[in-house]
Amino acid sequence: MRLHPLTIKKFQRFKKIKRGYWSAIIFISLILLACGAEVVSNSRALIVSYNNQLFFPVYNDFLPGTTFNLGYKYETNYRDLKEVFQENQNGNWVLLPIIPYNPYEIDYIEGEYPPYAPSMDTRHYLGTDAAGRDVAARILYGFRISIAFSAILLVFNYLIGTTIGCLMGYWGGAFDIIFQRIIEIWSSVPTLYIIMIIASIMIPDFWVLITIMVFFEWTGITWYMRTSSYREKARTYVLAARAMGASSRRIIFNHLLPNSVSILITFIPFSIAGGITTLTALDYLGFGLPPPTPSWGELLRQGIANMDHKWIVSSVVFSMIAVLVMVTWIGEAVRESFDPKKYTTYE
Amino acid sequence: MNKLTVPTTQMIMKKNKMNYSVYKTLLLMAIFSVSGVLSSCSDDTALSGASPMPETTQNINSVEDQPNTQDVVAPTMELPSNVNWITNTEDNIFADPEAKKGGTYRAFMLSFPLTLRSVGPDSNGGFAGTLRNLQMGLVDFHPNTLNPIPALATHWAFDEDQKTVYYKLDPDARWSDGKPITADDYLYTLVFMRSEHIIAPWYNEYYSKQITDIIKYDDYTIAIRAGNAKPLDELIAATSLSPKPKHFHKLDENWVRDYNWKEEPTTGAYVIDKIKKGKYIQFKRLADWWADEKKFYQYRFNVNKVRIKVVRDNNIAWTYFLKGELDNFSLVIPSFWHNKAQGPVFENGYVHKIKFYNDLPQPASGLWLNTAANGLDDLNVRLGLAHSINIEKVINTVLRGDYERLETHHVGFGDYSNATIKPREFDLDKADQYFSNAGWQEFGADGIRVKEGKRLAFEVSYGAQHHTDRLVILKEEAKKSGVELNLQLLDSAASFKKVLEKKHQISWMAWSGGGLSPRYWEFYHSINAEKTQTNNITNISDPKLDSLIEVYRKELLKEKRISMAHELEQMLFDSGVMIPTTKVPYTREAYWSWVKLPSFYGNKRSASLVSAFSSGLFWIDTEYKKVVEEAKKQGDKLPASTIIDDTWRKK
Repeated sequence: MRLHPLTIKKFQRFKKIKRGYWSAIIFISLILLACGAEVVSNSRALIVSYNNQLFFPVYNDFLPGTTFNLGYKYETNYRDLKEVFQENQNGNWVLLPIIPYNPYEIDYIEGEYPPYAPSMDTRHYLGTDAAGRDVAARILYGFRISIAFSAILLVFNYLIGTTIGCLMGYWGGAFDIIFQRIIEIWSSVPTLYIIMIIASIMIPDFWVLITIMVFFEWTGITWYMRTSSYREKARTYVLAARAMGASSRRIIFNHLLPNSVSILITFIPFSIAGGITTLTALDYLGFGLPPPTPSWGELLRQGIANMDHKWIVSSVVFSMIAVLVMVTWIGEAVRESFDPKKYTTYE
Repeated sequence: MNKLTVPTTQMIMKKNKMNYSVYKTLLLMAIFSVSGVLSSCSDDTALSGASPMPETTQNINSVEDQPNTQDVVAPTMELPSNVNWITNTEDNIFADPEAKKGGTYRAFMLSFPLTLRSVGPDSNGGFAGTLRNLQMGLVDFHPNTLNPIPALATHWAFDEDQKTVYYKLDPDARWSDGKPITADDYLYTLVFMRSEHIIAPWYNEYYSKQITDIIKYDDYTIAIRAGNAKPLDELIAATSLSPKPKHFHKLDENWVRDYNWKEEPTTGAYVIDKIKKGKYIQFKRLADWWADEKKFYQYRFNVNKVRIKVVRDNNIAWTYFLKGELDNFSLVIPSFWHNKAQGPVFENGYVHKIKFYNDLPQPASGLWLNTAANGLDDLNVRLGLAHSINIEKVINTVLRGDYERLETHHVGFGDYSNATIKPREFDLDKADQYFSNAGWQEFGADGIRVKEGKRLAFEVSYGAQHHTDRLVILKEEAKKSGVELNLQLLDSAASFKKVLEKKHQISWMAWSGGGLSPRYWEFYHSINAEKTQTNNITNISDPKLDSLIEVYRKELLKEKRISMAHELEQMLFDSGVMIPTTKVPYTREAYWSWVKLPSFYGNKRSASLVSAFSSGLFWIDTEYKKVVEEAKKQGDKLPASTIIDDTWRKK
């Protein structure tokens, strides 16, 4: 693919803004890490070698304890299996993930009550929550869900918002006026209250939540797209295109959109941050994804209820701050490099 | 609250679109913390069951409570000749003669009451219990023997119809403003409670259908008639009303507004003394209370003043308590008892701790299986589930070993409870056996049992967010048995609605234990099955059960009812429609050592030990208070004390 010289220039500008650039690299690696979370944090072993046969339980069917002669029918506890193998010394071995816990599983230490403090021995690097689940695992999987949520939400919001915004700007007239009023009314609907009401009568799973949020939040981007299309529409190159007989479709897709895309791009990081905070807030209030889905909001609530056990609240607050700061830095850098007014600064 | 926040949200939205979600987060967190506090108002639980009160939830007027025909009886003014008056002077007193009068007791509430009315709009908040406790009933119940004891009435008698109770009023009884309490006040109670001006439909209905008539024979003799025949112990509990002062109320359409902040005269030992709205309410003891010399009221209600201050957060209240500005603090919550109640004030003996086992009807907490849903009609599946539910692990982990396993639906009903039943334990082999009997022996790729392409998965709906950590343990443990439990957290009202509409599969909930004896008809009779808005949430329908329940309901002899209750409880246990979970058979408290408890600490039915209005057994040693305060200043040590009393513990 050959990039437009202007685009290359934008990327070069972006690279020059160091903190935004490094934030982007770290953030993208975190997303990649979260995509492969099963390999990083899992109660299932990565590889088990048993009687010269190799097992890869992570992405395969569950193996009952009887597979390894453990005398129970439910899923093998691979941490115990590792100890059993080490004691027996038959040449069998188990390779566990770095965090040998899944986000749902409850670890129970005899004679002690959760939450357990962070410890290298138990491999709970960030301790456990009040139910005895690994905080690090829940943060990792919770991050994956938040990011996926924000990204999908963003795609749908922008798809609808951009289409309607563009058409409002391009067609103008009655269509514009009607939609302006509709959007004004629509955006004064208190979305979070609506979500709370809906969540209290039904279980909001991932897609239901996205649908509700898209339903009320597509309006945000319309104003920007509308003004931008209005502005671009009046430019001479659009007039020229129209004079040459270009269709509306061609004008919108080949001229208006490419020239407005920098607006969209500069908003993306902030929309992602918005999506993460919204989901966290909903989960915090108990109106988000159903338990026991790993989520930052739920961890935050637990942390506040268990202030004596500081590792819960500090882990999630630190993660939250880190992600939001990185996203903001990326956003700042993106805006600086993609905004045609080269010397403005982000307010 | 809503009025305030909605415009704020919009303002912020207009101001800065990008930061909206951040604001939303903060704003919602703030709202949540406030509403959380409001919803967790504490109250001074009433000891006696004398006055009926609407429960906020879980009180369904089942068909049983409606009399078939409205009794229309012309009031006779002639007392029947065969009335056999009963009183109770034999039972032992349940207060400590060592008690000293005097001092001020300081407690807290989480929010200021919205009104001082005991009925009408906004009156059923946390403060309602306190207001009810300021008033006495016709009789009270001995907290150890559970026998009726004289209160506003000295004698009582039962009519043969088992609907009517005669009461001989105590001529000494006085309202706190000095006016005598006479039969007219009771007649007025009916007028008052049936009035549309009080805007209290629940009371309107109760005092029409449950209390059908009050008859005056003379100024100090009355009869009260209930809507339907009841066993005698239940009949007297239902008819033991608290009167309304006729000379105080003026019923008209403005009553609700006019009486918002008027202090109704009381029949008990305390009246409201001072109010500072939003800050505190202070009560004072009547210097010459009419019942001071009565047998069961001696040595009780010992403190001169009670000040209940508003502290809007439990943790802040805890720091007030540690500073000595509150006299006691409840330690029922595990983290308080285990973690917070430690440190110098405890080690130096300034503050004492007590864990006191009581014996109250336990709420029926459990997993209620809807037999009309998703294969739960199969007994083997129900029993398999019961053996896949690891309550012990819940108790030993998140509940820190503090709660105990509930054995069956009706626990704490004295002789009525069937003590031979032991709950089904977590046992994967037994579960496997039962599930295999039901044809669920195959396992799918994810370790969940499958049969004919269907997975063995159930939806568990519940309405209390803070129970999530208990349920996730059950979910994880049930997986070992090849059962998937999908947790469905709903708002508590929505969750309850779902259950009443019988749309649940498994419901995690607790029914507050009301009444003196177990109620089977509402919960287990087939007439209430497959119908919305009834308490038969398991949809169990068994003709054998039905016939025994019908006999049990009509039986008026206590011994027979007890043996039938045992048999019914066993049948229900065998049916496995309810998996009992936990109970808390004790109360725990921390109190400054100048608060003195009776030598026996509390009674069988003491829900709390330091309560000024309901039992009023404790006293404040003002001399010792000076000693403690001096020692605190100097850092001297006093004898420390942590009492664990299991006199009333069920062995």
